Amino acid sequence: MNGVPLGFYLAVSGALMVLGLIGVMTRRNPLLLLLAVELMLNAGNVALVGFSRYWNDTSGQIFALIVMVVAAAEVVIGLGLVVSVFRQHGALDVDEMSELRG
Amino acid sequence: MSGVLGWIVLGLPLLGALILAFFGATEPPKIVTRLVGCGSIGLAFVLTVAIFLGLVGDNPDERVHVSRLWEWIDIGNIKVDLAIRIDQLSVLMMLVITGVGFLIHVYSTEYMDHEAGYRRFFAEMNFFVFSMLLLVEAANFIFLIVGWAFVGLASYLLIGFYYDRPIAVAAAKKAFVINVIGDVGMVIAAFLLARDLGTLDYTQVFATAPDKLTSGGGVAVAIALLLFVGAAAKSAQVPLHTWLPDAMEGPTPVSALIHAATMVTAGVYLVVRTHVLYELAPVAMDIVAVVGCITLVMAATIAIAQEDIKRVLAWSTVSQIGYMIMGAGLGAYSAGMFHFLTHAFFKALLFLAAGIVIHALAGEQSLDRMGGLRTHLKFAYAAIAIGCLAIAGVPGFAGFFSKDDILAHALARGGLGVTLFVFGSVAALLTAFYMFRLFFRVFVAPRPEGDYEHAPHGAGWAMSAPVAILAVLSIVGGWLQVPFGWHRVTDWLDPVFADSLLKPLEATHAQELATVVVSTCAAFGGILLAWYVFARDPGRRIRAAAAMPHARALLEDAYRFDDVYDELFVDSGRFAGERLRDDVEPLAIQGPIQGVAAGVRGIARGLSWAQSGLVRTYAFAMAAGVVGVAVIFILVRR
Repeated sequence: MNGVPLGFYLAVSGALMVLGLIGVMTRRNPLLLLLAVELMLNAGNVALVGFSRYWNDTSGQIFALIVMVVAAAEVVIGLGLVVSVFRQHGALDVDEMSELRG
Repeated sequence: MSGVLGWIVLGLPLLGALILAFFGATEPPKIVTRLVGCGSIGLAFVLTVAIFLGLVGDNPDERVHVSRLWEWIDIGNIKVDLAIRIDQLSVLMMLVITGVGFLIHVYSTEYMDHEAGYRRFFAEMNFFVFSMLLLVEAANFIFLIVGWAFVGLASYLLIGFYYDRPIAVAAAKKAFVINVIGDVGMVIAAFLLARDLGTLDYTQVFATAPDKLTSGGGVAVAIALLLFVGAAAKSAQVPLHTWLPDAMEGPTPVSALIHAATMVTAGVYLVVRTHVLYELAPVAMDIVAVVGCITLVMAATIAIAQEDIKRVLAWSTVSQIGYMIMGAGLGAYSAGMFHFLTHAFFKALLFLAAGIVIHALAGEQSLDRMGGLRTHLKFAYAAIAIGCLAIAGVPGFAGFFSKDDILAHALARGGLGVTLFVFGSVAALLTAFYMFRLFFRVFVAPRPEGDYEHAPHGAGWAMSAPVAILAVLSIVGGWLQVPFGWHRVTDWLDPVFADSLLKPLEATHAQELATVVVSTCAAFGGILLAWYVFARDPGRRIRAAAAMPHARALLEDAYRFDDVYDELFVDSGRFAGERLRDDVEPLAIQGPIQGVAAGVRGIARGLSWAQSGLVRTYAFAMAAGVVGVAVIFILVRR
């Protein structure tokens, strides 16, 4: 096994995941929320690629590609929702959107 | 051949009913309704005549045709075929049902002309005829019960034709409920037959019953009596008779169809058809005869005090069916069926002619508002006169021959029969009396106070022609069977009773002569009495009624059967219902259900704070959950 050790991959992946999580929990703008979610997804991708290299098995990389496609699709829907929410409310703040409070 | 025709006869009215009921969302032109409604029944009648002629051509002992389409039910050793049975008895019934039914349909085209629901009326009438044909054509008890129940439904629909009148709806419900009581009796009887004989097919039941059932044994008596519960409910015999007078809330042609030609005679048909089962239970037969006799006398007395023209006829029907049931109970099956035949003619005639009177007076039915109509309604006057003479049993008219036949057989039977003969003769006198009371009060008595608002108008040909035909039949119909002469009906039906276990009743010449003399005296006595009370001096009837107010009130209320039933069954049922609703239902049913609902609602309330609507809180909870699960995994691994 040469090149970058697995631990590095996992460290980057964990860092990205924590950053994304903090973003999701602290940001109130849905656009930034989406960005943060994207960060978390890519944290997963990094981990997948790292493990794929570690085990010499390409299926992990294929999974990463699939995750990217799904992420792209998710962003499309997410942005669409954001636009329509903006039209409805005239402002973008996830804390304001609490109509479903029980 | 007869079988195929039998199916077509059965199918035509059904087809007519279906076409009328489902063809098109809006009311079709009246001409279409008329053609379909009358055409189906008329065609059925023509085919029935063809079947009849076919049977006439057969050897007298080979006139039974069972036509089987396919096996309908096969459970264990019980097999039920979709089959009809054409024989002398069912053909006789079919002829009357389709023939008189057709005349009534033609009559209705004019009578119902100005009513709403023209198409519905004919659809229901066709359905009624179909049900009745199914009842008489059935070749096993299952189809008999199916037809039986259909007739109950059809009568419910027709009696409740004016569904916006609460009285009519109540009458329809009453008829239905009482009919269902009868249905239950029939079903239990069928269960017993299936259990002990292992078959429900007529031919097999009647062939095996004498071997497998103990004569006079408990089961035989139970079967016969349970069947009679069904017969009594349909044929309005005491104590299940109370629905019939109320059924007069239906349109007049319905009364004619239900009460003259079809439904109410189903009970007579049933007793005659299952005569083998009754002969195995002599006690039940005596009960049938006595019930018939009680009904006969009781209804005849009630008819005297009724003020509604249709109710007089209704009670007269109850009474006349008492004759038939009595005849059947005595073992004089042919005589009972003969009276059914003549009764179909003259009672349909009376109802339809009364319909002309009611129609002419714009719906007026009270005898008090009638009188002196002889000059206005000459045709109805003649028709009702013939009908009254026929039902009263004046020699030469139909009722005379058939009533005599039953009474002569009662004498021939001896013992109990003699008692029944006496009551039957008294009832004959009462019959003449109440029928001519109606006749004199409608046509001869002075006009009501204030005269008529509009001059009564006569009827068109569609109403007159059927009445005229029935009037002719009410005269000549009786000549099929003449004392000391010929016995066409008996000869025709005799092979049906070849398996009878009783030795045939033959009235001697002396007995026939006695009957003729007694019933002729009864008829003329009743007519004279009616003339004396109602025609000679109009004030006399009012004085007579005032002299015995209690008796009159009792008769007018029909011996207060309704009140007793209301107290016994309706009130107690209502009481039980209210108690269940107020006391049991809240605790036993509402309690658990409301409890579950309240519990779920409480839990939901308790958890609803978690749904704050703040997306970031959810994200936090999710992340915390993932971390928590990861921690647990790591700890467990250790």
